[in-house]
Amino acid sequence: MRNSTIGALLLAGFVAGGTPAPELTNTSWLNTDRPLRLAELRGRVVLLNFWVFTCGNCTRTVPSLVAYDRQYRERGLTIVGIHTPEFPPYAGEHDKGNLTRALRRQDIAYPNAQDNDHRTWDAYGIRYWPSFVLIDKRGIIRYTGSGEFHLDDGDYREWDGRIRQLLAE
Amino acid sequence: MRRVAVLLLATAAACQSPPPVALQPGPPLRLVAAPGVRINARLKPALEVDDGTIVRFDSPRVTPDSAYFAAAPTAAPPGAARRGTLRVSVCPFGQGICRSLSMAVAW
Repeated sequence: MRNSTIGALLLAGFVAGGTPAPELTNTSWLNTDRPLRLAELRGRVVLLNFWVFTCGNCTRTVPSLVAYDRQYRERGLTIVGIHTPEFPPYAGEHDKGNLTRALRRQDIAYPNAQDNDHRTWDAYGIRYWPSFVLIDKRGIIRYTGSGEFHLDDGDYREWDGRIRQLLAE
Repeated sequence: MRRVAVLLLATAAACQSPPPVALQPGPPLRLVAAPGVRINARLKPALEVDDGTIVRFDSPRVTPDSAYFAAAPTAAPPGAARRGTLRVSVCPFGQGICRSLSMAVAW
């Protein structure tokens, strides 16, 4: 499926019928000893979080993602941060050291890809920071969305329910 | 006559909607957000001047969490060049998101 079509579907907030999630092809990763590929994660539920450490809306959402990771990792959830800079390299968002410090500052233990060339951002047709893509155990995109949320607010509970649903399938 | 060229920046998709940010001529150059729009202070707006200079906007006044500017960020006008690309990260109130604007500007 063409990226533009995927993007239109993602903007609609859901993907009816199931769209295969585009493979991750990023080469620079943190919190993992080798690059992650969705093909190797079949059988697990995957939550992609498109974010950047200079985005307050993103960093305020991180505690929720850390909570999901701690609660559901052993039950089959893999959270993957897709760190996509907004500005060119002079702004410092591309720097691996800066990202490393941001992960440490926010107690992020789940894997993060450096998406410095926006390849994954573009493949998924993402437009906003933060955005989310929830992928089922077969590698099918099931839910998408964007926007900050917080521990135990309505959006947090909605994503929690979606994760539980896909883990139970 | 004083050079006055106020440039309105609009997203490509928002043909008729109010521009989220306006660049006001200086000195200093000033970035003014439209009502309901916040400018990301953790990613200072940048003016990439056509001569290669990069000018960053800043303001000492930010929100308590340091995420957004609480006053219009300003920048000293660059040298002789009068054209460039402005980059701004804008975060509309109530939407919980940020998006990136990149616009050709002249002043």
